Amino acid sequence: MINKSLAERRSDKELECEINGQPMSLEVPPTRRLLAILRDDLQLTGTKVSCEIGRCGACMVLVDGRPVNSCLTMAYQCQGKKITTIEGIGQDEVDPIQQCFLEEGGYQCGYCTPGMIVSVKALLDDNRDPGIEDIEEALSGNLCRCTGYGGIVRSVHKAVQLRRNSS
Amino acid sequence: MASGYEDKIMSPSVWHPRDTTEAWTFKKLLDSDAIYVAGGTLLRTQWESGLAAVPKHLIDLSSIPGLTGIEKKEDSLAIGALTTLGQCRKDPDVLQHSPLLVEAVRSIAASSVRNLATIGGNIVSRVGDSLPVFIVCQAEFEWNTGLSPMTEDASEWVERLQVQLPKASHLLTRVHLPLFRETDLVPKRFGAFHKVGRREAFTPSLVTVAINGGMKPDGKIADIRIAVGGGQTIPHRLVAVEKILKGQIPNRELLGEAYHAVMNGYRPKSDPFATDDYRKKTAANLIITEIWKTYSEWADGGREPDGAY
Repeated sequence: MINKSLAERRSDKELECEINGQPMSLEVPPTRRLLAILRDDLQLTGTKVSCEIGRCGACMVLVDGRPVNSCLTMAYQCQGKKITTIEGIGQDEVDPIQQCFLEEGGYQCGYCTPGMIVSVKALLDDNRDPGIEDIEEALSGNLCRCTGYGGIVRSVHKAVQLRRNSS
Repeated sequence: MASGYEDKIMSPSVWHPRDTTEAWTFKKLLDSDAIYVAGGTLLRTQWESGLAAVPKHLIDLSSIPGLTGIEKKEDSLAIGALTTLGQCRKDPDVLQHSPLLVEAVRSIAASSVRNLATIGGNIVSRVGDSLPVFIVCQAEFEWNTGLSPMTEDASEWVERLQVQLPKASHLLTRVHLPLFRETDLVPKRFGAFHKVGRREAFTPSLVTVAINGGMKPDGKIADIRIAVGGGQTIPHRLVAVEKILKGQIPNRELLGEAYHAVMNGYRPKSDPFATDDYRKKTAANLIITEIWKTYSEWADGGREPDGAY
């Protein structure tokens, strides 16, 4: 029998977090997937739904600055965290990473692109001068079924160069 | 696919214990209706694919302070079970003192999954790719059993798994990873981790191999531990191979004998993607190549000695 003291340790249905800089208080079951919260509850459909088992990276978001698969992340794991979706990257103007993808042909069908951009943002925020091994490791969880990896890697190299020049 | 499961997955209660004793108490009270959850990445994929039923209760271990982080001690690294694989991958002490663990962790999933998944979760999955490294490095697992803390050698734990499931209430709290140093008696340490899958990155393993050994000044192998796993195989040591190699200088005949001992001693589970024979040959080639490479590098600065294999 769970006593009163232990009963207090049960998750309630209120999720308090920050999404794209906005404090949010959401009434959701504690195990609801972040992916469903973003897309279905908040209509932030830039985060894409695809494999739903953490393999493709289409649903990538930043949680406290680190990339995670929102299909694997449950609401209670976001309590008090700062979440950034593709809508939160380049809110006011096109992010330089997005611009590099545009200029270097990093888009084909575009479905994987939001996840790619989020992963590259996390990489460059963590490592200002990544080598090809760092880039490949950072993007190893993002699949492009158009197999447009050449353009994507070129875009990342350009984004790296831009950051290097700006610093 | 997942939408059908969403409602079921949405229903569990989530409990946030304040310490490991409280977590253990929840597990004893809720019994088989509850499971411990760390990063939850493997569980989530099992629920989504229907491989495992969604339990009624989740016991969230991330709410417990003190289970994360890596502490360098004099002769070991103490790794909290809730430390994410991503933290292990980038920790300066792990990078400096345990390249084997770094290599194993780097091969697990992708960095985004490693930001959620924990080292404890990888271990208690029983087929995690970090396990062969912990076996060959003689790591000790520290458990909360509800009564008193229990420490168990990694290789003894996996051996026991071959015959019985671990107690579901036992809670892994910490991993103690010994550090190996070169000495006058054993002036060269060597080690390797290999994971073979069906593609280069973010792949489930078909075969994993870990080796940790030391070489005497005369080129004889002073000590060696070898572990193999991969796929759904619970990793295990190759004790017979270790016995063949220990105290010997590698040469053609010895390595031939060791090759056959790997083929006989490795007990992989086959699946539609790879037969057990393929896995055995792969493991044997990797192990023998690593030992020969190590010896070649040691012998006269890489020059092949007489009797080369």
